Amino acid sequence: MADVILNVKNLDISFKTSAGMVHAIRGIDFDLERGETVAIVGESGSGKSVTMKAAMGILAKNAVVNSGTIDFTYKNQEGVYGSVNILDKDKKWLRNHINGKRISMVFQDPMTSLDPTMNIGKQLVEGMLLHTNMTKEEARAKAIRLLKEVGIEDAEKRMRQYPHQLSGGMRQRVVIAIALSCDPDLLICDEPTTALDVTIQAKIIELIKRVQKERGISVIYITHDLGVVAKVADYVNVMYAGKIVEKGLVDEVFYDPRHPYTWGLLSAMPDLDTDDDRLYTIPGSPPNLLQEVKGDAFAPRNQFALEIDDKEEPPMFQLTKNHFAATWLLDERAPKVEMPKELRERLDRMKREAEKYGN
Amino acid sequence: MAIDYSGQPLLKVENLKQHFKVSNTYTVKAVEGVSFEIYPGETYGLVGESGSGKSTIGRSVIRLYDPTSGSITFDGTDITKKLTRADKKKLRTEMQMIFQDPMSSLNPRKKVEDIIGEGLDIHHTYENRAQRDRLIKDILAKVGLAPEHASRYPHQFSGGQRQRVGIARALIMNPKLIIADECISALDVSIQAQVVNLMKDIQQETGAAYLFIAHDLSMVKYISDRIGVLHLGHLLETGTTEEIFSNPIHPYTKSLLSAIPEPNPIVEKNRVAESYDYKTSGIDYNQGFNHHVGGSHYVKCTDQEFAKWA
Ligand SMILES: Nc1ncnc2c1ncn2[C@@H]1O[C@H](COP(=O)(O)OP(=O)(O)OP(=O)(O)O)[C@@H](O)[C@H]1O
Ligand SMILES: Nc1ncnc2c1ncn2[C@@H]1O[C@H](COP(=O)(O)OP(=O)(O)OP(=O)(O)O)[C@@H](O)[C@H]1O
Ligand SMILES: [Mg+2]
Ligand SMILES: [Mg+2]
Repeated sequence: MADVILNVKNLDISFKTSAGMVHAIRGIDFDLERGETVAIVGESGSGKSVTMKAAMGILAKNAVVNSGTIDFTYKNQEGVYGSVNILDKDKKWLRNHINGKRISMVFQDPMTSLDPTMNIGKQLVEGMLLHTNMTKEEARAKAIRLLKEVGIEDAEKRMRQYPHQLSGGMRQRVVIAIALSCDPDLLICDEPTTALDVTIQAKIIELIKRVQKERGISVIYITHDLGVVAKVADYVNVMYAGKIVEKGLVDEVFYDPRHPYTWGLLSAMPDLDTDDDRLYTIPGSPPNLLQEVKGDAFAPRNQFALEIDDKEEPPMFQLTKNHFAATWLLDERAPKVEMPKELRERLDRMKREAEKYGN
Repeated sequence: MAIDYSGQPLLKVENLKQHFKVSNTYTVKAVEGVSFEIYPGETYGLVGESGSGKSTIGRSVIRLYDPTSGSITFDGTDITKKLTRADKKKLRTEMQMIFQDPMSSLNPRKKVEDIIGEGLDIHHTYENRAQRDRLIKDILAKVGLAPEHASRYPHQFSGGQRQRVGIARALIMNPKLIIADECISALDVSIQAQVVNLMKDIQQETGAAYLFIAHDLSMVKYISDRIGVLHLGHLLETGTTEEIFSNPIHPYTKSLLSAIPEPNPIVEKNRVAESYDYKTSGIDYNQGFNHHVGGSHYVKCTDQEFAKWA
């Protein structure tokens, strides 16, 4: 069933600050189908969290939506499918119909979504009582099961603990358990595993995958961890300065990246096989979004920038059915530019390794 | 910069225990007899799974907790005993912590410039307002934030930007020891690299030592001189980065190293990580004691286990 559950069109958002308007989201389009997993990657400050907060209808007070729609399709109480534009609805309506129930979000900073004065058992159970028909006993049993599934030992005893008595990663896992507790249609995970070691990370990813298979939910992962993206995602969106600059199937973007920013991102990933003293970083810094960006926002940091990059914004060039990138390098008039040699070698190495799996 | 391992360590933690009594029947033994040393200019990486006691060690060292037992010596002063005013002042300036959860460690009602400048204000380490502002602008630039960020409040930042505010607040004091608790985990790779490079530069410049707490072994490998592997409150293995990565002895260390994900979709989707389950492993951490593998490489285990693994 290839139906679209979330459709974001031409989303454009600014924030009022004492220094002026910060133009954080500059025209974003994407679709998410039922059962799919999409990863959003990109530099710190590129607009990943703001985009998803918009989809939950929980933007900060100083946010201004300049344009766009976010259509969410779901089955209502009568069992009929319908769509709403999240941006048209007020917070109260969303709290009653959407948030926590049909869309749940695991926030980047777990403390912001936990109540410091309430034990975690109560926080888990309350959500379920509010959003589902479960009895108190059923909710409690499910809470304990979920805590065990996210790898928390002594789950029964931990239910009575307060957030500050848990480690950072445990808090993060409690938030994941809360997000899964009401069986949402769409799960948005903002850096869900950043504070987690690889073993527990793998456990959580398995859990989410299993729930996804059982219930056909869609998942959006926001993460800077490209290893996690490789593991979980069907599709990847690469964001830079409030825009999606490259998107495609995860294999396309990781084995055949086309945007120079994606090249930089993949090059910066530390590699256990190389032994350099200094890590590669993308030179320069992201544009100041207090000023309007002219041309390609990545141009000042792009060693392959063309003259046109300073004047005109590149459109999305289509490479395959799913693979798109917004860089003038893909224009037929552009000189032929190859990705940096080190990255080429690294990708070749990755592909050789992948071949062992018969693909 | 060469580290002088023959001199006095900057920090010496001996047999530290930190227990939390949650109820009459439930005590969490977060740290169970941990010992390690950090030398001036050195970076000691502390790794281990979620809940293994990493943050608790950091918080005990900076004396947010009273240790259950054991001793902590900083720059020649025993800081587990009752502290004098002078000791406290020294501790608050010369040791800084970058906290794991940036949102809850930054005062939401204060502008970022005042959060970063707080330490300077308390200890009057500037001559005039202009110098204070310059110090703040400089440190903002160093962590990759813009001057106009100074007048914003913590919630008006992205997660990674907020984490850098916490880093700036610690670095501005020029401390001798920085406890960095997962200080780069919310950052994308390029900025992680930028911050790690910055921390290395500052270390070159000022000779600061780091206790670098992380679960991401690939970054720990880059920044650390030595590494300690923690599990369930026990320091199971310690040694130079080279020793740990090329010759891991403890099965737990091996499982940690086997699981580092790579940006390779086909490989990752087919990978089965080596698993380690303490309960079924037959190992009892309480029976173990330090065995010398060679150099500065030690592993905590019984004689039989050592004979089997090494
Ligand atoms: N309430 C706000 N007021 C002003 N600016 C804001 C506000 N919220 C976010 N911003 C700005 O919008 C931009 C995008 O922020 P966002 O949180 O989406 O980044 P992100 O991609 O999630 O980054 P990270 O990886 O660091 O979490 C940033 O430059 C941030 O400073
Ligand atoms: N104030 C407290 N009261 C009770 N228990 C606590 C307290 N602080 C920490 N703990 C417990 O101590 C153990 C170790 O926690 P700690 O925060 O040190 O873990 P960590 O290694 O930093 O994990 P993470 O990687 O998830 O941050 C956990 O079981 C935690 O619940
Ligand atoms: Mg974010
Ligand atoms: Mg911690």
